Formats: sequence, structure tokens, C-alpha cells
Amino acid sequence: MVKFTPSFNRLVGELAKLPGIGRKTAARLALFILRQTPEESLALADAIKELKERTRFCSRCFHFTEDDPCPLCTDVGRDDQLICVVEEPQDVIAIERSRSYRGRYHVLHGALSPLDGIGPDDLKIDALLKRLQQNDVKEVLLATNFDVEGEATALYLAKLIRPMGVRVTRLAHGIPTGSDLEYVDEATVNHAVEGRREL
Amino acid sequence: MTLTRLILHNYRNIPTAEIHPEAGFNILYGDNAQGKTNTLEAIYLLGHYKSFRRGRNEELIGPADRHCRVAGEFYNEKLTENVCLTISSDQKNLQINGKRPQHSNEMFGRFPSVLFAPEEVSITKGSPAGRRSLIDRALCHTKPSFLDQARAYQRCLRQRNALLKEGASPVLLFPWTEELIRAGALVRLARRQYLERMLPLLREAYGEICAGREIANLVYPTSYDTFTDLAEELRRNLEKENAREKKYGMTMAGPHRDDPVFMVNNRVLGLYGSQGQQRSFILAFKTAQIRDLEQETGSVPLLLLDDMTSELDRKRLDFFFRFLLERRGQVFITCTELSPLQNAGFNNMRAFRVQEGILCDY
Repeated sequence: MVKFTPSFNRLVGELAKLPGIGRKTAARLALFILRQTPEESLALADAIKELKERTRFCSRCFHFTEDDPCPLCTDVGRDDQLICVVEEPQDVIAIERSRSYRGRYHVLHGALSPLDGIGPDDLKIDALLKRLQQNDVKEVLLATNFDVEGEATALYLAKLIRPMGVRVTRLAHGIPTGSDLEYVDEATVNHAVEGRREL
Repeated sequence: MTLTRLILHNYRNIPTAEIHPEAGFNILYGDNAQGKTNTLEAIYLLGHYKSFRRGRNEELIGPADRHCRVAGEFYNEKLTENVCLTISSDQKNLQINGKRPQHSNEMFGRFPSVLFAPEEVSITKGSPAGRRSLIDRALCHTKPSFLDQARAYQRCLRQRNALLKEGASPVLLFPWTEELIRAGALVRLARRQYLERMLPLLREAYGEICAGREIANLVYPTSYDTFTDLAEELRRNLEKENAREKKYGMTMAGPHRDDPVFMVNNRVLGLYGSQGQQRSFILAFKTAQIRDLEQETGSVPLLLLDDMTSELDRKRLDFFFRFLLERRGQVFITCTELSPLQNAGFNNMRAFRVQEGILCDY
């Protein structure tokens, strides 16, 4: 890697910490920023500063927000009796993009993983249980990922929530839209058969 | 499926080599420790991306450079495809037709090869892990999705063991037990289904080898063959091991501990089998695996035979040569002596001499 000026090297070092950015790409980005007008590059710096200053977790659902409670929690058009539990903020964005869901959210910020030392206390589970106790929630939709950790987290939550008299549902999974049955693996077909429904 | 070109670069003791194998029989011939098995291993790598020998990546890399390369050109039904595997100490880079495959489904079962190495004979007597691995490796080729299932199970197993080790409460353990049961039942189901399908082929091959005097059997230690029943069975297995799990801090039942029993005439081969019976059994297993793979996928796997003549006696060798002659498809054989193979009546045969890491036409 070509050593340039100290300030250039510093920026390259910082950019290279970003996910998906290697030293080469970082150097390219830094050169691009160097060639920008001062206004343009300062706008980037300011955008980062503003993001960090103004964004925090919503005290109800733990999604990222600038206003607490977040717009999703204060939207009067949403169903208070339905809460969708997800692992990460980007999962909220994915579900919102589909425009198919009109309830509230709860972000766990992770999934159970004993190998990484992540237990229930490291996730926003207590806050979720409190929300369920204090509000009149009829249904919790578990939308954690479908990997081993996500499934285990869903099973763990279901066992805690069911005794509270709240209906617990799991996001359905099965054959992807537009795909041929013959190319789908047994595990998926198995799930799809279990989750079959009346036509 | 034919390997039409094999290129090696800085691979083990082979500095550089390029050979153009025959569509039929290819003999790698030479003294011991010259690079015959290394060549066979390289071909195996092109279909499995992992060696059949244990060891770290470094051991595959020769002294000339920090990485090595194995590349092959396959020809199947008028289609030519290229595979290139570059290995450095910390990673493997695979390209198929110049592109990195996105999913394991694109990699496995595409360039199938079946290996028969002398050390595999000891699997019948060795640890259960060897027998499970023999079945799993065979099964992967007809069902690439098994790999994901096995990985999910391993992942869940490690998570659950981490909890057991720290003596976690039943509340914390519960979701991992449930997940383990589901993933484990899928692994057992896949193994059961595979064995059920290939067992008649195995019996038939064993009968051919020993002229019908003995009957081979392979029993997988589960009593059910549907997902729901297998899941309930695994649940009972785990409940029974509850106390021992707490004591040892690890999962004591499940597909990772199953011991598939290899039998001849209703006697367990590992305990009572003669050396000859063990050899016949592995030979029959491999034959059945190949026939099953051909029936299921319609593609003919490459056969990689490492030093067959050393482990098999006259009678078994005759059977195997007959089997080889009856089937079409490409075969690679390593040996120290050419004459038994020359007398076996193989036509379209090509011999390569391997000497001190150099491959040349004989």
C-alpha cells in the first residue's frame, strides 16, 4: 500500500474499518474525497456527525430513531395489539418495505448464541416482557431469522410469552414465490407442508 | 463425465504438471513416495474441495510459492467445464468456469468422484465417526442439500454443548434441545433414506464378491423412517441421557454419536469380521455407492483407486476388475506394478509414470 500524507493514511484507516471495504477500496474512496470540493466533503463529515448525534434507540421498540418514541410507535394507524419481534433494525426496514404489516415492532438487537456468550440478558427481552405486561397485546409475531440461532430464540420467547395469555405466532416460511417445487430442499418442503393452509 | 485435462502447480511434491487423461483407464505408475497418491488427491479435490487426507492447507502447498493450484477440465455430454482451485495457507479460492460459486449446491455433486483407498478398509473396525463419515460422504453426492442440514446440526450441537458446559438452567437449554431434535431428525432421516436405497445394491455386490455364500447388512441404529417419528425418538434418546449430559457437559445422543453397524451373516464386522470380509464389505459399499450415484443422478462418477492391488487379493481384484470393465466411465488407478493391470484386459488404457513429482506418458 502506497504511503501518502498522514491525514490521508488516517482516513484510509478509518474507511477500511467499514464492512465490505478493504484497504484498496478505502484508498480509492479517500482519493475521491480528496478531489471533492471542501463543501462536498464537509457535507459527508457533517452527515456522519448529525447521524451520530441525533440517532438513538426508541425507548419502546428499540428501533433506531431521532424522536423518542419513534414514528412507528406513535403512528395511530397501527394496531397496538400486535407486536412483531425481529433481531435487527434492518429487519424492521425489510418488513416495512413489504407494506404488509400494520402492527408495532420490537427489536432484540441480536439472537441467542451461547458460543458467543449471548444470553437472554444481552437482548431486549426483559423490555419486551414488560411491554406485554403493561399493554393490552393480543399477539406476538416472532420474525427472528430462520437459522439455528433465530429458531432457538423464537422457541425461547414462545415459551416465555405463551403463559402470559398472549397468542404467539411465527413468520411462515416455505417455498419462495416463483420457484419450482422440485428444486426446494426437504427441510423447506417439510416446513411448507407443516404450515399448509386451506385454499 | 470425463476429466480431459489436469493442471497442477506447486502442489505437494509436484512443481508443475499437465496431463490429458484417457476417457477410460488411467494408470498412475511408479515407486512409492513419488507423487501418485498426490495426483489422485488433486483429482479428488476438484470434486470435493477438501482432501481425503487429514491435514492443514499448508501441507498441500509445495516449496516454490505461497499457494498452489489445481485445475481441471471436465467434459460431459458435449459440455466442457473448467474448475480451478487455488489454495493458500488461510483460504481456498474456487472458480467454476471463471466464476465463484455462490452456493454449495453449485459445487457438490457437479464433478462427482468416488475414492477407494486402502486405509478405508479399517473403517469397518475403527471408530463410529469413520463409518458415519463414509455414509455422509457418499450421501452428499446424491443429495447436496444434506451438507447444509449437517452444518445446521453441528452448529446447534456446538451451541447446546456450550450451554451444557457452563451448567445452564433447563429454561435456557430448552430452545436448543428443540432445535437439535429438529435438525438431528433431518440428518438421521437423510442417512436412513440413503441406506435404505443403497442397501439392496450393497447386498448384491457383496454376494457377487463372495459368490453368494454370505449376506451383508448395514444397520443404522434408529427404529423409524419418518421425520415425525425420528424427532420423537431423538427426544426420548436425549431425555434418557439427561443425567449424563449434566455430568459430562455435552450432548450424549444424536446423529453425531450414532454407530452404523456393518454386518456379515448377522455378525458385527467390527468384532468378528475377518480381514477378507472387511475388504469385501468396503468393496461392496463402494460398488453400491457408485451404482446408486449413477442411477440417481444419471452422471457417471470418476473412480479414484489408490493402490488397489496391495489391499485386495486375487479373488476380490477379479471381481472389481470385472465391475470396472462392465461400466463405462473414467478410472484413475495408482499402482507400483503395471503387470496385473495390463493382464486384466483393459483397453483404451493410458499409463502415466510418476517419478519424483514429474508426470509423464509411460
